Amino acid sequence: MTPTDKPKLLGQCERWLIPVLILAFCGATYWVSTTFKKMPPILKRGIQPSDFPQLLVLLLVLLTLLMVWKDPVRVRDRLMGSTLGTIALFAGFAALTSIDFFLALAVFATVLALFWGERRVPVLILVGLLVPAAIFFTFDQVFEIRFPRGLLTSIWYG
Amino acid sequence: MDAFVHGLVSLFDIHLLFLIFCATIGGVIIGALPGLNATTGAALLLPFTLTMEPVPAIATMTAIYCSATFAGAITAILINTPGTAASATTCLDGYPLAQQGQAGRALGMAVVASTFGGIFSVVCLMLAAPLLARAAYHFSPPEYFALTLFGLSMLASIGDGSAIKNLIAGVFGILIAMIGVDNLTTVERFTFGSYHLYEGIGFVPVMIGVFGISELLVQSEKLHLRREVIRMKSVELPGAKDYRDSWRAILRSSGIGTFIGILPAEGATVASMIGYNEAKRWSRNPKLFGKGAIEGVAGSEAANNAATGGAMVPTLALGIPGSATAAVILAGLMVHGLQPGPNMFTEQAGFAYAIFWSMMLVNLLFFFVGLRGAKIFARVTLIPVEVLWPVVFVFSIVGAYALDQSMFDVWVALVSGVIGYFMRRYGFSVVPLAIGLILGGMLEQRLGQSMVMLDEKWWLMFTRPLTLLFLVLTALALFGPAIWGRLVTRRAPLDSTGE
Repeated sequence: MTPTDKPKLLGQCERWLIPVLILAFCGATYWVSTTFKKMPPILKRGIQPSDFPQLLVLLLVLLTLLMVWKDPVRVRDRLMGSTLGTIALFAGFAALTSIDFFLALAVFATVLALFWGERRVPVLILVGLLVPAAIFFTFDQVFEIRFPRGLLTSIWYG
Repeated sequence: MDAFVHGLVSLFDIHLLFLIFCATIGGVIIGALPGLNATTGAALLLPFTLTMEPVPAIATMTAIYCSATFAGAITAILINTPGTAASATTCLDGYPLAQQGQAGRALGMAVVASTFGGIFSVVCLMLAAPLLARAAYHFSPPEYFALTLFGLSMLASIGDGSAIKNLIAGVFGILIAMIGVDNLTTVERFTFGSYHLYEGIGFVPVMIGVFGISELLVQSEKLHLRREVIRMKSVELPGAKDYRDSWRAILRSSGIGTFIGILPAEGATVASMIGYNEAKRWSRNPKLFGKGAIEGVAGSEAANNAATGGAMVPTLALGIPGSATAAVILAGLMVHGLQPGPNMFTEQAGFAYAIFWSMMLVNLLFFFVGLRGAKIFARVTLIPVEVLWPVVFVFSIVGAYALDQSMFDVWVALVSGVIGYFMRRYGFSVVPLAIGLILGGMLEQRLGQSMVMLDEKWWLMFTRPLTLLFLVLTALALFGPAIWGRLVTRRAPLDSTGE
C-alpha cells in the first residue's frame, strides 16, 4: 500500500461508516422507543408516546438509504492533527472542571492559544487570565450568576 | 395603530437606545470576523440577555442579526473572505473593485444597498406580519401541523449541504426534541433515568455547540491561513453614475430578499445568490460581473439584508423561523416566555412593533457606523484565530452554563459542538438540526392535537383545504426540485437535436 492509498482507504471507510453509524443509531433509538409506557386508549390523546419517534426513525432509515444511493458521504481530506488535538483539549477541559470551572476555562484558553501557535506572553495572559476573569466578574456582579464552587471560586465566594 | 405608536414610543429609552447602539457595533464586529456570523453571534449573546426585559433582549439580538449580516461585506470586499455566508456573492465583484483601488466605493455601495434592503424589508415586515398573523389566527391544529411540516420541508434546500443530508439533519434535530417528558401524555422518553434529561435537551446549549464550538473546530483546520487586508482611504458614498447603474438592482434585490426571507428556513445566503444572479441577468453590462461590477455588490448586499426583515415575518407571525438566525431569535423569544404566533399581535402587539422599530433603527444606525467605521472594523479581521477562538470558547461555555446554571448544559454544548463539526465535515448542515430541535416538539404536539380533533382519522386532514394546500407545498418543496431537474435534463437532449 502506497502512502497515497491510505487517505483513499480512509475516505472509503468514512463513506460507509457514516450511514452505518446512522442506521445503528436508528436501531438503538427504535429499540429504546419500544420500551416507552403505552397509554390506555382513553388517555392516549391521539397518538402513543412511541408513535412519533418511531415514525421519525423510519424516516431517518429511509433518508439514509436514499443518501447511500443518491448522495454518498464524500470526505475531502484527512482529519487534521490540530482538530484532533483541540477535541482532546475539550476532554482535558471537562476533567479540569471537576477541580474548578474558572480554572478549567483559564487553563483551556491558554493551552488552546499555545497549541494553535500563540507565543506572546502578554497575549496569553489576556486570553487565559484577563478575559475569563472579566467574564467571571461580569457574571458574578452584573448578572448575579454564580459559577459552581471549586478550588478558586470557593475562595471568592467565601 | 396604538401598538404601532406604542412600539415606537417604547424605543425612546436611553438605556435601550444605548444597548441597540452597542449591539449594532458588536454585530458589525461579529460580522466582520471571518468564522463568526449573525447566527453564532445571536446564539452566544442569548444567555447574556436572560436578565433583560423581553424588548431589550430581543432588540439586541435583532440588532446583531441585521448589523452582522451587513458587516460580512467588509471582509468580502477587503480580504476576499465573506464574513458571513450571505456575503459570498459580494466577494465576486467587491474584491475585484478593491484590487482596482476602489474598496471605498464598493463598501459605500454595500452600505447604501444594505440599508435600503434592510429598511425595505422592515416596512414589509410591519405590513405583512400582522396580516399573516390575522390569517393564521383561525388555523386549527391540522393547519398548524401542516404548516410546521412545510417549514421543516424547506430545510431541504438550505445551507450548502445536499437536500437529503439536510433532511437527515432536520429529522435528527426533531428526534433530539423528543427527549424528556412527553407534553401530551407525561410519559418519559429517552431519559434513561437521568433527571437532567427529564425536561429535555435545551436548545440554547445545542445552538451554542453547533454554531459556536463546531466553528472553533472548523477554524482549527485553518490555522495556516494568513489574511491580507487591502488598504483603503475611506468609505465613499456612491456617485450619481453608480446610483443610475444600480438602483434597479437594489430595488429588485430588496424585493427578492424580502420574499426569500419570508419563506420558512430560507435565509440571507439564498437571497444574496438569487439577488446577485438577477442583477447580472438584467444588467446592461453582464460581462463586467465577476470583474468589478458595482451592480453585483448592490444586488448581493440589498438582497441579504432584505432577507433579515423577511425572515422575521414567519418567525413572529407563525412561530416558524425564516432563517438560522431567526431560529436563534425564536429560541430567545421562548426563553423569555413569549409565544410567537398569531396571539403575539393581539396580546403583545406593543412588543412586536417595538421589535420592528428597533430593526428599522438598526438599519439606519449601521448606515452611519458602516460609513464612518468600516475602515476601523476592517482591522478586526486581523485578529489572529489563536487569540479570537479561545475567547469565543470561554464565552460559549459560560453562556451555555449561564442559562440554567447547569454543568450539564456545558456538556451538551461541548458534545453538540463535536457532533456539529463532524456533521459539517461530512456535508450535513447544522442549521436543519437547530431548526428541527426547535420545531420538533411543536410538530408532535400539533399532530397529537390534530389526531384528537379528527378522532384519529388522519386522512381527514386531506379534506381541509388549507391543510391540503400546506401538504401540497410540502410535497413540492421536497420533490419539486428533483422532478424539475429530471424534466430539464430530459428536455435538454431534445432541444439539442432540435426536436
